[in-house]
Amino acid sequence: MTDMVVTGNPLRDPKKIARKYFAVALFAVLVIYIADTIIIEGTDWERMGSLEEVVKTMLFFLPDFSFFPQTVVPLLETVLIAFWGTALAVVFSMPIAYLAARNITPLPWLTYPLGRCMIVLSRSTHEIIFALIYISALGLGPLPGILALASRSLGFMAKTTSEAIENVKKGPIEAMEAVGANRTTIFFFGVMPQIFPIFVGNAIFQLDINIRRASILGLVGGGGIGLMFAEVMQNLQYDRAGMIVVGITAMVVFGEFVSNRVRQRLV
Amino acid sequence: MAVLEISQLKKTYPGGELALKGVDVSVEAQEVVVLLGLSGSGKSTLLRCVNRLVEPDSGTIVLDGVDITAQDKRTLRRTRCSMGMIFQEFNLIDRLTVLENVLSGTLGTTSTLRGIFRAFRQEDIQRALALCERVGIIDHIRKRADQLSGGQRQRVGIARALMQYPKILLVDEPTSALDPKIGREVMDLLTEVARELKIPMLVSVHDIFLAKNYSDRIVGLQGGEKIFDQETRSIETEELDQIYHEAG
Repeated sequence: MTDMVVTGNPLRDPKKIARKYFAVALFAVLVIYIADTIIIEGTDWERMGSLEEVVKTMLFFLPDFSFFPQTVVPLLETVLIAFWGTALAVVFSMPIAYLAARNITPLPWLTYPLGRCMIVLSRSTHEIIFALIYISALGLGPLPGILALASRSLGFMAKTTSEAIENVKKGPIEAMEAVGANRTTIFFFGVMPQIFPIFVGNAIFQLDINIRRASILGLVGGGGIGLMFAEVMQNLQYDRAGMIVVGITAMVVFGEFVSNRVRQRLV
Repeated sequence: MAVLEISQLKKTYPGGELALKGVDVSVEAQEVVVLLGLSGSGKSTLLRCVNRLVEPDSGTIVLDGVDITAQDKRTLRRTRCSMGMIFQEFNLIDRLTVLENVLSGTLGTTSTLRGIFRAFRQEDIQRALALCERVGIIDHIRKRADQLSGGQRQRVGIARALMQYPKILLVDEPTSALDPKIGREVMDLLTEVARELKIPMLVSVHDIFLAKNYSDRIVGLQGGEKIFDQETRSIETEELDQIYHEAG
């Protein structure tokens, strides 16, 4: 290295190189320190025992396929929670998107910040927190799960839709103004057809994500497959838990497959 | 009596750009008037002031004896129903079919509910089909508007404007987005239908050839001011060339 520096290559300024190596070294020390404190110190190695025991414990989770029939209904319930959560979000995101799109919002000084506020509120809160709020209000079951997913997706849908509205071509809107159309029909003819593909694409994307989200809502009492997973874990039925994991994976992969196909068709 | 009487029209854009400096233009019944000028001469602004897509600062615009500069939004919408506009970039709704685009010309006189569900009246559909036939796009009515060529798209724009039973057609650079041959076809069609249906037209154009061949009268605009206003028959090409010279 030092030989190269002596040649005076401007790309190899010795000061810069020294600084770079120093930064890498510092980073390495930091990583080792973190690994030491939170993995090596923080783990109960005694309790974990030998490698043989670890493998044995993991084998508890080998799926019990005879449990499969009992998982079907909760899995379907999960898909339905995701579906209804997304559907509600799609419907209620439209008026919010209307308020939060700077170019069409009816009263810019009032409705625009209102729409933006709702979007931020929805996007900054985790679905588990929404679920806990709705569960304490409505009790256990799929309904609070649906509302939690809807509340979470609402912001994303409203945000992407309002941005699509802000980016529409002006020409068709101008043409609709020129034929004497009113605000509502201008929206349905000048704006809607332009944002439609983006809107549908995002709705499918949310459905896809909501299937994942729905599968863990049960852990806090939001219904669906997560509830069953929490139950079998509490009863130490690890083989059944393994089966549920396989089921969730299959469901998610299937959901992704379907949503990809639909989205391709759309574009 | 003139169908359209524009007097002392002034417009300054928010940026301070002076677009129109007090222009008078009138359009008689069944007359084709061309606004000739370079880009920036104010011809698009003038056209857009007529249906108040652009709000003029001062001056009056009288359509069929009614001053529309003073109209409130509601009345203005009703007035717009009787003015057909044709655009340089066609301004069609790309994802809707050709027939739906033509029918969108009736939106001003169709109820909101019918509009939302695209449930147009039977007589409007009949008329739309007849107009599609007339402008030569009847074979494409089920296609999406974005599948058509430029010339066909402008024909859809013409049919949409005619759907309005317009008292006047406002035509903004109808051929600028088209190649010269297609552009002449569109101008031929436009002047033919206007004559057939006895609709006067105010057309903005930057091409002297088009101005001379398709108009009854030419109004020259330069830097927001009218520099000539003559019958096309009596005008010499040299006079028209003025629009290409910078204002002294």
